[in-house]
Amino acid sequence: MTLAAIIIAIVSFALGALLALLMIPVLVWLERRGAGLIQDRLGPNRTNVGGFRFGGVVQSFADVVKLVLKEEYYPSHIKDHRWLFILAPMITFVAALLAFMVIPFADNIVIAGESLKIQALPVEYGVLWYLAIGAVGVIGIFFGGWLSHNKYSLLGASRAGSMMISYELPLGLSVLAFVITYNSIDFNAMVAWQSGTVLGFLPAWGIVVQPLGAIILIIALFAETNRAPFSVSEGESEIVAGYMTEYTAMKFAMYFMGEYVAMNTASAVIITMVFGGYQLPWVSTEMLIENFRYFAWAIMVVMPVVVYFVIEWMYKNNAVRPTVISDGSREFEAKVLSIVMVVMTLVVEVILVYLSSAQDAVLGTSIAVMLLQIVVFVVKLMIFNLFFILVRWTLPRFRYDQVQDLGWRYLLPLSLVNLFITAIVVVGVS
Amino acid sequence: MGKNIKVVPRHGREFKDRLYLPAIYNGMKITFKHLIDNVADSNAVDTLEYPEEQPTDITERYRGLHRLTHRDDDTMACVACFMCATACPSNCIFIEATERNDGKDEKMPSRFAIDTLECVFCGYCVEACPCDAIRMDTGIFSLIGNSREDFVLERDQLLKHKGVFGEENSRARK
Repeated sequence: MTLAAIIIAIVSFALGALLALLMIPVLVWLERRGAGLIQDRLGPNRTNVGGFRFGGVVQSFADVVKLVLKEEYYPSHIKDHRWLFILAPMITFVAALLAFMVIPFADNIVIAGESLKIQALPVEYGVLWYLAIGAVGVIGIFFGGWLSHNKYSLLGASRAGSMMISYELPLGLSVLAFVITYNSIDFNAMVAWQSGTVLGFLPAWGIVVQPLGAIILIIALFAETNRAPFSVSEGESEIVAGYMTEYTAMKFAMYFMGEYVAMNTASAVIITMVFGGYQLPWVSTEMLIENFRYFAWAIMVVMPVVVYFVIEWMYKNNAVRPTVISDGSREFEAKVLSIVMVVMTLVVEVILVYLSSAQDAVLGTSIAVMLLQIVVFVVKLMIFNLFFILVRWTLPRFRYDQVQDLGWRYLLPLSLVNLFITAIVVVGVS
Repeated sequence: MGKNIKVVPRHGREFKDRLYLPAIYNGMKITFKHLIDNVADSNAVDTLEYPEEQPTDITERYRGLHRLTHRDDDTMACVACFMCATACPSNCIFIEATERNDGKDEKMPSRFAIDTLECVFCGYCVEACPCDAIRMDTGIFSLIGNSREDFVLERDQLLKHKGVFGEENSRARK
């Protein structure tokens, strides 16, 4: 193992852990803020550290502090197997976290003739890993529901379990159709397949190649994450809070955070399998590296424009109404943040100028391409997390029998048909 | 079937409705529009950004914090008759009466305290007062303190509160 390989492995593991864990407070905040703005409210925007509110994201950290400092309370009827009661939310959380670790954040980087994966776990069988580990999460839910010795918890857990069975099948079958199409179980190879075009002008993304399979995959992943409109296992109108009724403090927070990690993982899987992963549409990695100069020029033009509009937007919105007198702390925050953004833009511009003028900065170019792809990945990830949030605050919850109906009587036959057609087309083409 | 019965056709059974996806698309369009509009201009959200913005829609009938009114010569209107303390459902008014020597009346309170932590702001004291001496027209809706004692308003503090709806002095004791 060379030094470069070790560095890349450490960096991509850190990146995976960071993207999964640091995304939790951001997503909790995004959910609350998004819900507010969708419903014409404002959402949490007051908590600050030294006047810096960052739009209110500090609230999530304050919440974590509150949950950690809360009393460790156990219901008195939980007498034996308390360790399993504590372990249950951890299983859910860790399963969601581990499932995220096989997502490629950028294409394989070639350093000194050696191709290195930008994956937290550099494995070739990402799809199998995701299906296996992703399904473990429901075991934590089941343990929690069963050990709570509570009817509501048990009902919630059994709902989660039966829903897992009814949605794991269409999920597996639609993934199988994708595996047949891409001819690989490696996520990175799937993304590489999607960087071409179909019919000459459409990007060869999964949603274009396999529209039905993509829709089934997205629906099944919504059910897999236990989120609205499939959140029957915690339907508060019928069964209080489902499997987490008896959980408090950090044990509850584990379930709560596990849900957001699962949502993040599901978005990552959706964009990797269906929406071209870390690739820009129509642009493959080789094209990026060969024509890096033109892309660098494009970024050099686009980035200041984007930053300008972001700063403009921030000054407009990081303030109370103009008619109201305030103490100027928001203006100060906006000023500091805009200075930081301008400095970052300048640094990026300088690096890009150097890279596009240097003659044979092969390593620098490929690292820059890697960073660009990571940025594209994170942007797509945030868009899909926002989509998850938008769905939650738009759609009402399905009734439990409707959920089962949809899974068994519609999605399962549709995914079977989809698999059949895919197999015929693939065999016919080859 | 009577002639006044109107049969409404049942909706939601067509293929388009059973497909769910068009309806989901329509719903998402609405919520997305709200999201984008509010992100683009968060000050257009019709929310009172409270500490910076104060409410402007407090009406004359709003029962704010209490005050003790004055006569036209700026002396206390209260005659310490204990009507308010008797009417009070939460027993939060504490009055100690003393003799009044300036010839206006026979009695006045030496202590008139309202425990606002006990008070339910029902306004019965205002209704009960025969001298128009206690009122709730200050428009004050927020009271802040660091200890429980800070919330027990004493006589002089209650006399300092101003009415904000035009009527300053007592209408019954001139």
